[in-house]
Amino acid sequence: MIENRPWLTVVSHATLMIGIALVALPVWMALVASTHPASAFGVGHIPLWFGDAGVDTWKTVLFEKAGNGIDTPVFFMMLNSLVMALGITFGKIAISLLSAYAIVFFRFPFRNLCFWIIFMTLMLPVEVRIVPTYEVIANLNLLNSYTGLTLPLIASATATFLFRQCFLSIPGELVEAARIDGAGPFRFFFDILLPLSRTNIAALFVILFIYGWNQYLWPLLITTDDAYYTLVMSIKRMLSVTDGDIAWNQIMATTLLAMLPPVAVVIGMQKLFVKGLVDSEK
Amino acid sequence: MTDVVLENVGKTYPNGYHAIPSVDLSIEEGEFIVLVGPSGCGKSTLLRMVAGLESISEGELRIRGERMNEKEPAERDIAMVFQNYALYPHMTVYANMAYGLKNRGVPKNQIEEKVTHVADMLGLTELLQRKPGQLSGGQRQRVAMGRAMVRDPKVFLFDEPLSNLDAKLRVQMRVEIRQLQRKLGTTTLYVTHDQVEAMTLADRLVVLNKGKAEQIGTPMDIYNQPATPFVAAFIGSPSMNLIDANVTEQGVKISDAVTLPLSHEHRGEVVWGIRPEHLVVCDEKNADFALRIQAVESLGAETLIHGVIDEKSGKNEPMVVRLAGPHLPDINSLIWLTAPVQHWHLFDAKTQQRL
Repeated sequence: MIENRPWLTVVSHATLMIGIALVALPVWMALVASTHPASAFGVGHIPLWFGDAGVDTWKTVLFEKAGNGIDTPVFFMMLNSLVMALGITFGKIAISLLSAYAIVFFRFPFRNLCFWIIFMTLMLPVEVRIVPTYEVIANLNLLNSYTGLTLPLIASATATFLFRQCFLSIPGELVEAARIDGAGPFRFFFDILLPLSRTNIAALFVILFIYGWNQYLWPLLITTDDAYYTLVMSIKRMLSVTDGDIAWNQIMATTLLAMLPPVAVVIGMQKLFVKGLVDSEK
Repeated sequence: MTDVVLENVGKTYPNGYHAIPSVDLSIEEGEFIVLVGPSGCGKSTLLRMVAGLESISEGELRIRGERMNEKEPAERDIAMVFQNYALYPHMTVYANMAYGLKNRGVPKNQIEEKVTHVADMLGLTELLQRKPGQLSGGQRQRVAMGRAMVRDPKVFLFDEPLSNLDAKLRVQMRVEIRQLQRKLGTTTLYVTHDQVEAMTLADRLVVLNKGKAEQIGTPMDIYNQPATPFVAAFIGSPSMNLIDANVTEQGVKISDAVTLPLSHEHRGEVVWGIRPEHLVVCDEKNADFALRIQAVESLGAETLIHGVIDEKSGKNEPMVVRLAGPHLPDINSLIWLTAPVQHWHLFDAKTQQRL
């Protein structure tokens, strides 16, 4: 709809601005709150402009200790979260690429059965099978380890399904041309398939990174050692104070820090992400 | 030297469908063979069996005397040009052409030499750094051919390579393919459903029908002496007039009213045919039969007249006449025609073989 009506422009811009304000207000308040001393919140009014304790709070939280019984600095927990998120993302992408490759391009007995079994795991997310999964991980002595944090979350039917659809759209003639050009299964995978699914991988990376970063329940269960705490779960821990005041300023700073990496990933990969969802250059 | 031999080659699919009963064909070195037939006749399947993309269920395929049935496509030393070109969309033109050589472990400087040479020959030098997405249909077609040519294979396989191009470009590429093939002298197997392509390109034509080779021969042989009514109708445009007829003492009876005098030892049901270009317009006295005009297609250089003969008996046998130059006869009027006996084609109605 390309119309030139000044009122329409004004109204639509106003609507957009109200929307942005609604979304941004909580973030703004969190940012402001992190710059006031913890005591500022007890008095009943919410400050709307920066205080003077900002630098101190952020320094403490980021590099010394997060507070409220957690002695690890946020910086360290961010690293843990990053390791977990990237581990889940790359693990999922690698496994799904391989399984989709097998299902689409190779003829083996029970091929369809394999696909449907993988497909059915969609009905069993981690939350449903959390007790048995915990037992398995505990028996394997993987509590409090990066492997334990990532491995159970890696198996993924959604990504397999996505890559399957992507591979199915690759014309058969292309596969045959590669065969005639002497590309074996490995060459075909690395030279043709990977470059062709580049945008899909990027789109999936964004989705999976956020999924991995925001994991809450699973890390909460299997980490008891501060050294493996992830950022998202420790925010909750910082809230559960039995006596004394909740350190809202520190919590707000931590929350903002927890939001940063997903935002960075989305902004950084926006172009590829949209391309991966919209067009196919095949 | 015989280059490619297909011996009783047949294809049965796992579901029992018998796509190709048995084809025998031996191709000389440097020969240009065109497989032609209507869609679903198995011509692409046959080509893909030679390429190794489909397994061969019966018979044997030999290239330069070596059995190829169990060999992978890459080991057969063939190159194929696909209908939609099948270029690797993420690679540059150069990389597309170099890919097969790279996989075969050809040294880099040799690859570069070969690719530049072929690109030069096909006029692709300017485009080497482009991606297929930035090329026009004709250019993609050229790249696909270039990719086949750099490998310097024993056999070229073309699977309807021109069907995605517009008419003008098709004519141009047709001529070019023929010239290139002559220049390179590579044995070529070419699949098409377009009979003009088939007639102009082929050294020898293979007309396929339902997986069977109905006739193998030079284009002119096939045009002049079609072996079966199928071949007669398929080759030539507009296609040959074919009428169910009966050979009796008096001659060939093509309808109740029309009997053409010819002494022939054969008796009984036949299919009588004559090409539209061989019918001659004459006056009423000398005519073999009259044609009631139903439609006229004026193409300038020639005129196609569609009509029916044998109105009286109500059989209304359709017939097409092709006349040189422009003519504008009235619709529904009559013209008188003779069918010169030297241009007749007679086929046995039962065996469908030429008499």
